[in-house]
Amino acid sequence: MRSTLRRGRDLVFWGLCLLALAIVIVPSLAIIASLLQQSAPALNAHLLTATTASNGLQNAILGSGLLMVGILVVAGPVGIAGGIYLAEFASPTRGGILRLGYETLAGVPSIVIGFVGYIVLDQEFHWGFSLLAAILALSAIVLPYVVKTTEVALMQVPATLRDAAIALGLPRVTILRRALLPPAIPGIASGLVVALAIAVGETAPLLYTVGFTDQNPTLTLFQHPIGYLTYVVYLNATLPTQLEHEVAGAAGLVILAMILVLIGVGRLVGRRAVRYAAQLPT
Amino acid sequence: MLMESRGTPPDVASAAVGEGAVAIQDLSVRFGSTQVLKGISAQIARGKVTALIGPTGCGKTTLLRALNRLHDQRPGFHLDGSILLEGSNIYARGTDVRDLRRRMGMLFQRPNPFPQSIAENVSLGARIHGLWARGEVKARTEGLLRDVGLWEAVRDRLGGTPFMLSGGQQQLLCMARALAVEPEVLLLDEPTSSLDPHSTGRIEELVASFRGSKTVVFVTHNLQQAARCADEVLFMMAGEAIEQSPVRAFFDHPGDERSRAYLEGRTA
Repeated sequence: MRSTLRRGRDLVFWGLCLLALAIVIVPSLAIIASLLQQSAPALNAHLLTATTASNGLQNAILGSGLLMVGILVVAGPVGIAGGIYLAEFASPTRGGILRLGYETLAGVPSIVIGFVGYIVLDQEFHWGFSLLAAILALSAIVLPYVVKTTEVALMQVPATLRDAAIALGLPRVTILRRALLPPAIPGIASGLVVALAIAVGETAPLLYTVGFTDQNPTLTLFQHPIGYLTYVVYLNATLPTQLEHEVAGAAGLVILAMILVLIGVGRLVGRRAVRYAAQLPT
Repeated sequence: MLMESRGTPPDVASAAVGEGAVAIQDLSVRFGSTQVLKGISAQIARGKVTALIGPTGCGKTTLLRALNRLHDQRPGFHLDGSILLEGSNIYARGTDVRDLRRRMGMLFQRPNPFPQSIAENVSLGARIHGLWARGEVKARTEGLLRDVGLWEAVRDRLGGTPFMLSGGQQQLLCMARALAVEPEVLLLDEPTSSLDPHSTGRIEELVASFRGSKTVVFVTHNLQQAARCADEVLFMMAGEAIEQSPVRAFFDHPGDERSRAYLEGRTA
């Protein structure tokens, strides 16, 4: 009697868990399915070989890739350094001020950051539509994530490891490099992945700062618009022909694929880094 | 007396064994408004093993961590009184804290090897402190691993992770790491509390072998262990030093009613 009741309760519990799982998974699968369905006729090599001028995506893929590399170069080091500073070096007062700063930055809508970038960089500095302005605007948007995840990853390193390194009389940089960073790297890497995924999905700040062009991007930092994927989704969805709608769906799929690759790379980096940190005491 | 310069080998042997290597003078420690240590005075004898014992929460670990300034970064930490290592106040302005920590090696309750290879764990401190020349790293790493009795177990996986070792082996590795920087004093914070009896025995053997060459401060909850390993006992209660006596005298004829009550399992 008792055990039937318990089994029943177990069943309800597992049922609810499965339901929650489904609520998470079904929408993402539905999005992928509808994108596939919508873009199916357009999914061919033409997407990669032609630019958006002739219903391809070459310039947009290259442009989005270029932006991601730029963000990795700018927001990566700055954000990681900021997180390390907050976790290891900042006094409580300074840390509090800095945290208020990046939390505020995280709350600023991306279109406002794009607007400010446009006014200051494109106009005031006369950069025109500029790759660098776009990279800086997107970096400002994702910086808080990188700082926060780095800080949290370092805070989660067991205190006893820190104690051991301090008690050995090691200098701070060695403590950081040899004891604290190795176990924190998976967390930092996943923070970077999330940051890049957010950045590659942004549209509004790019409209302001770098415009759009059907031509392939160059490494020119100033006075030169570039193409990127999110704009194709945005624009093509409003265009009249079926083919243009299909290309919009394809652009969405490519963004998803890029994010999946990012997640995979993040996991690999994490796994490599925990070589010695595996089974760390918690 | 000036601090010894870095890299000078500790000269315990020539200094008289049994005299005070560390002098704790009227030491009080509080964190914010919480008073943890109250006016402790004690002498830690050179080349001997001093056991710090007392009920949970009496301040043993706080005292131990004050000896190598491990509290420095804790918010609200405040210290009065002084701790002299070979005559110089370790809390004096201008103290080389990193060198102080090198001279005061430490072992913790739970083994805590670095997320580096086994060999790196041993050699890192010595190389950073400039104690080993490049060419002798391998041989000296091996020597230390032999000293602690770990060599046979790890000789084929020196480049591997220390976290595959058993808890006892990890603690021995931490001992080798601590010994590598040639400390004069070893601070042991219940180093065997998470270990099996065999590893515990090995650590105790090592502690016994340090007699005469290193000064050891040994926090333990285990009275038998204190009786086995220690030369001196410092008994603490509620942040105060109640009694400091030679080990036999302490266990046979405790000088204070509170010590007697503690040994007999009564609450005074």
